[in-house]
Amino acid sequence: MTLFDRVFGGNDYNYERTVAAIDAAIATYGEAEPVAFPDTAYSLPCYYAVTGVKISNLGEMKAAMETIKAKMTRNNRLHDAFESGIASALCAEFLEALKYLHGATPYTEPEMGHLTDAFVRNLGVPLVTGDIPGVAVIIGGAETPEETVALVKSYQNQGMLVTITGEGIKHVAESGMKTGEGVRVCPLGYEMQSVIHVVSVALRAALIFGNITPGDFPALAKYTMDRVRAFVNAYKPLSDEIVSYGAGAICLGFPVVSNETENMFRVPKSLIQQLDTEKWNATSLEARDIKIKITNIDIPVAYATAFEGEIIRKGDMQVEVDGSRVDCFELVQTKEAAEIEDHKIEVVGPEIDEIPVGSKISLSYTIEVAGKAMQADFESVMERKIHAWLNCIEGVMHTGQRDMIRIRISKADFEAGFKFRHLGEVLYAKLKSEFEAVVDKCQVKIVVDAEQNKALRAAANEVFAKRDDRLKSMTDESVPVYYTCIMCQAFSPSHVCIVTPERLGLCGAVSWLDAKATNELDPTGPCQIVPKERCIDEALGRYEDVDEAIEKYSHGALEHVTLYSLFQDPMTSCGCFECICGVEPCSMGVVITCREHAGMTPLGMSFSDMASMTGGGVQTPGFMGHGKQFIFSKKFIAAEGGPGRIVWMPKELKDQVRERLDATALEMYGVENFTDMIADETVCQEDPEQLLEFLGNVGHPVLSMEPFDM
Amino acid sequence: MKDWAFTTTVEQMEEATNSLLENAKKVGADTWQQRAKNQSPHCGFGEGGTCCRICSMGPCRITPKAPRGICGCDVHGIVARNYLRFTVGGTAAHSDHGREIMHTLHQTKEGGNYQVKDPEKLLRIAKEWGVETEGKDIYALAHEMAEIGLLEYGFPFGEQKFAQRAPEHTKELWRKAEIMPRAIDREIATAMHMTHMGCSSLPEALIRQALRAGLSDGWGGSMMGTEFSDVMFGTPTPIDTEANIGVMEKDNVNIVVHGHDPSLSEMIVYYANDPEMIAYAKEMGAKGITVSGVCCTSNEVTMRHGIPMAGNFLNQENVVLTGACEAIVVDVQCIFPALGPLSKCFHTKFITTSPIARMPDSEFYRFSAETAGENAKAIVKMAIENFKNRTPELVNIPNQKQKARVGYSVEAIKKVLDGVANSQLDEFGTTKPLVECVHSGVIRGAVAMVGCNNPKVRPDTAHIELMKKMLENDIIVITTGCSAQAAAKAGLMDPQQAKEYCGAGLKRVCELAGIPPVLHMGSCVDISRMMVLASDIAKDWGINISQVPVVGCAPEWMSEKAVSIGNYVVATGIETFLGVDPYSKGSTEVTELLQGENGVNKWVEAKFVVDTDIEALGDKMIACIEAKRAALGI
Repeated sequence: MTLFDRVFGGNDYNYERTVAAIDAAIATYGEAEPVAFPDTAYSLPCYYAVTGVKISNLGEMKAAMETIKAKMTRNNRLHDAFESGIASALCAEFLEALKYLHGATPYTEPEMGHLTDAFVRNLGVPLVTGDIPGVAVIIGGAETPEETVALVKSYQNQGMLVTITGEGIKHVAESGMKTGEGVRVCPLGYEMQSVIHVVSVALRAALIFGNITPGDFPALAKYTMDRVRAFVNAYKPLSDEIVSYGAGAICLGFPVVSNETENMFRVPKSLIQQLDTEKWNATSLEARDIKIKITNIDIPVAYATAFEGEIIRKGDMQVEVDGSRVDCFELVQTKEAAEIEDHKIEVVGPEIDEIPVGSKISLSYTIEVAGKAMQADFESVMERKIHAWLNCIEGVMHTGQRDMIRIRISKADFEAGFKFRHLGEVLYAKLKSEFEAVVDKCQVKIVVDAEQNKALRAAANEVFAKRDDRLKSMTDESVPVYYTCIMCQAFSPSHVCIVTPERLGLCGAVSWLDAKATNELDPTGPCQIVPKERCIDEALGRYEDVDEAIEKYSHGALEHVTLYSLFQDPMTSCGCFECICGVEPCSMGVVITCREHAGMTPLGMSFSDMASMTGGGVQTPGFMGHGKQFIFSKKFIAAEGGPGRIVWMPKELKDQVRERLDATALEMYGVENFTDMIADETVCQEDPEQLLEFLGNVGHPVLSMEPFDM
Repeated sequence: MKDWAFTTTVEQMEEATNSLLENAKKVGADTWQQRAKNQSPHCGFGEGGTCCRICSMGPCRITPKAPRGICGCDVHGIVARNYLRFTVGGTAAHSDHGREIMHTLHQTKEGGNYQVKDPEKLLRIAKEWGVETEGKDIYALAHEMAEIGLLEYGFPFGEQKFAQRAPEHTKELWRKAEIMPRAIDREIATAMHMTHMGCSSLPEALIRQALRAGLSDGWGGSMMGTEFSDVMFGTPTPIDTEANIGVMEKDNVNIVVHGHDPSLSEMIVYYANDPEMIAYAKEMGAKGITVSGVCCTSNEVTMRHGIPMAGNFLNQENVVLTGACEAIVVDVQCIFPALGPLSKCFHTKFITTSPIARMPDSEFYRFSAETAGENAKAIVKMAIENFKNRTPELVNIPNQKQKARVGYSVEAIKKVLDGVANSQLDEFGTTKPLVECVHSGVIRGAVAMVGCNNPKVRPDTAHIELMKKMLENDIIVITTGCSAQAAAKAGLMDPQQAKEYCGAGLKRVCELAGIPPVLHMGSCVDISRMMVLASDIAKDWGINISQVPVVGCAPEWMSEKAVSIGNYVVATGIETFLGVDPYSKGSTEVTELLQGENGVNKWVEAKFVVDTDIEALGDKMIACIEAKRAALGI
């Protein structure tokens, strides 16, 4: 049997059972029964991405089988095998969608089934930065559970996103390994067809970040091939069904590595026979051209970005550094080179093994750096990285910043020999590698002594206060230049952020100072200087210099962008924005929702729905992606009246921005406690009438503003 | 099927040619287009191969009323004798080219005009030939190898050395069929002897000798030409260049090289890049110097230096008709004597350089290995000084050119394949990744497209249309000679664009390997590279060459060399498709021997297929490839 015959066979099998399943579902529920995956605006995502047609009920799904059938041509050409592979994958998506019929929740832990739009958007930044170097799609399981677990861990240690389909899930679950989005190990489902859920992630990434027009299949396949670094590891035996999915995967540019030899063929860089499964990791990375950033840090536990989202529960905790109760802080300070002994890690006070298990302790660490190109403005930029750096340690959880940090170190780490000193090792190694261009010398001082920390914290707070004053004084008007940020262009080729002091990058990860530091670290890199000499309209934030930069760095895709307007050439989004705002026409206000909020907004749209309106470098007047910190900026939609236009936000988001937003509103409008005037899901979920009533009751300032000039 | 929108079409090329023919009219020049008309219709006896003028009793022409010549030879004997003589004309030309290269190799020296640029390759071949290399100076070795190579032309006993590269099965077939090539000159002399009055008239014996002579070319003379050119001038690696008449630069001194032997053109290219010469050109009112080429000399220098290709065989008059050609410098083979009188209509200097190719109305610079540098410098200088003699109103360079990536020697192809291999499991330096692509069906097979242009076929149409058809069907094309230039002119070697029009399988291969779908393997002697590639594939795959889904095709061939090539390609086990009949149709027996199931096919597991309907020829090629796949069960 030829390779193509196997693909065709698997496709035929899937097609027939999908037709039967749809017919059976229609017999039970009727053609009008809705079909959808939860929390996605791209229903059904794969079919929509491939054909440009959304499916919302069983009748439409049945009709779509005609489109799928048309792909199932049978010439002995790769084109036909590719098309049949895609057809087979679409059948798998339908079969999976049918599981969610009628409000069913077909998957329980550890199986995850469908992955939400928020999941896809969360991948954006780490994929761009290379923190997630790739996506390993594991199908089936090894001969022994240990072998499967070893493979999964090998990828996890490299920071890869791992999905598992079939037998391997059992292997991982039985080993007691943590799974889920937080540790980047995602069991999809026991049935082979559940592999479609990771395909769905890849295709949505193309729609969200790449602005690929749904139905433009060549562009879709080019995007996934060029930009989504995924590959498949398939354990034998491979059924025709799996072989047909493999054809679909290869069509999208994802190589398949397998140990199957029976009735199997080899295609360089695409279908690879590697009988030595211990070499699958290395073989796959080479096949997909994935380079792993090597971080060799001398600590007794693993260090990888995959551990960034790991949660340490109370019961698993050895000690906790608790800034909410005792004096703790983290600080980066610039010193003279002579004052620093490079790589000196000093621990003042008891080490971890001298402290009773379960203690909440006072701990501070001060990182002192020196370098010819070092600037005091970079201190806070470096400090903001500490959160990510420490979180990548296996078994360590870090939250907060400055003097409000909380660090948990797990019992497992303690048993592995992890010491406070190792926190210093990580800080030293990361700082030296990521800020190589400005940091020549670096030492870390860790103080585990409540008395000393009390005094040190007071001194640190003075530093923080000075920095805040400087930041506050730093406005769009007070700085001489802005910066571009095109870090996301690896995924979103036509998007450009213009970063100003009062408008940070929409991902929330790049402030003006970050951009400045990035520019100095890498003068030809993603952050380029944008002069602001030729202003066209100050209120809109329209500059000839900005337009020129936008046109240049979007490669001609965009010509005009304003900094402060929601309607006139609003700034575009890559797709990994923290928040999105959209016009609420009844109140003439704006609704903001964030990625964490899965529920509806008064626009009748969820975050996913609103997010699907923009992204990929597209301008959609009335919708705009932005960072959380932009909400309390005086420049937030300043052209339309500023943050006083905000009429609705999720409660959690309100709480995050309350303090700063209230201050801004007081200054701008003379309104006290403005955040309380903003509705949230507790007073109004999706009914604009309820919203208006609430706004009337609290006397929201928007009611006295002019209608939007749409 | 598909819209090959980015390509330059034959119509567009003809439009450009027509604008140049206007120039010809203005100066009253004669062109091949007119001469082809004057020569039509062609002699039916000649076309059928049924005219014998080997002795002076004739000429005898075979008709139903006169079925035998005066000596009694029947039509089959006459056609077969003519076929063999036609073949060895080509064998002689190719092999003498190879011999010249060996003489040049013998002249190499440290710091000299000619040097060993790829010593690694020289060492490799020396080992292959069993020559001791240890402790030897590389030039001493080069001279020793040259002498051994020259003996391949006349050794008294034994088989061609390079023929030993063929797979065992192939060699067995050759020995069994008594066509294993002996000394090259012997095969040519034997052929001439066999066809002398009163010798062979048995078609089978004559066709056997045609295959044997052909093999002494492809696995002998040509292969030496290729391999030792690489040793001296460098083994080609992928390089980007441009093709078509628009590569000539209006404001520059244009020197066009033409012919087949790279020895002189290498020197011309060297001196055209000499700062002293460039300064001199500027002094003379030009902006610089552009060397471009036509025919296989062009292929040689484009493969190694990315020198742009101005055109192929039937474009040789076009370069002069631009009115912007300061000098057309030729060596040997395929040079129209028409260039002499044509150049006289313009300011162009027509420079012949080889005692092998002497022509009226040319300036003869006797070229030798010892004086090559001085010769080349003098020629470049003379071209520069000729710049001022242009007639400005006659200058017309049609703005037509395409990008091309060229330089795919077997070594380079293996290097490309290494790029898609996986170091965790694959062996490097093999053709296995290509074998896997073919075995899995991602690529259906390969076609070796070769050969000339011929006014009997609308120039370039057959090359370009057949290639497009192959690409759409996931069949990769390797090409040499004027066929390669047709592809380059059309844009089929554009590494970015051409793949977009291929079938999904070939497109993916091009993307992953970073290659165009049509691979330029060099000049016509470099068809020997194709033979090495075919045998390496067969060895790596573990099957016979005749089982590999690969075919040869010369849709617009015209020269005797092409027939010699056809013989060795078929004899190597590769079915070969011709778009022009090899003067054999006058004999049913010879036709059956060459094209039937029971002729050469029985000896070497391959045969000729002739069809002047190009579309049908393409269908037959695809059918042949698919049949080979089916036989392998893939």
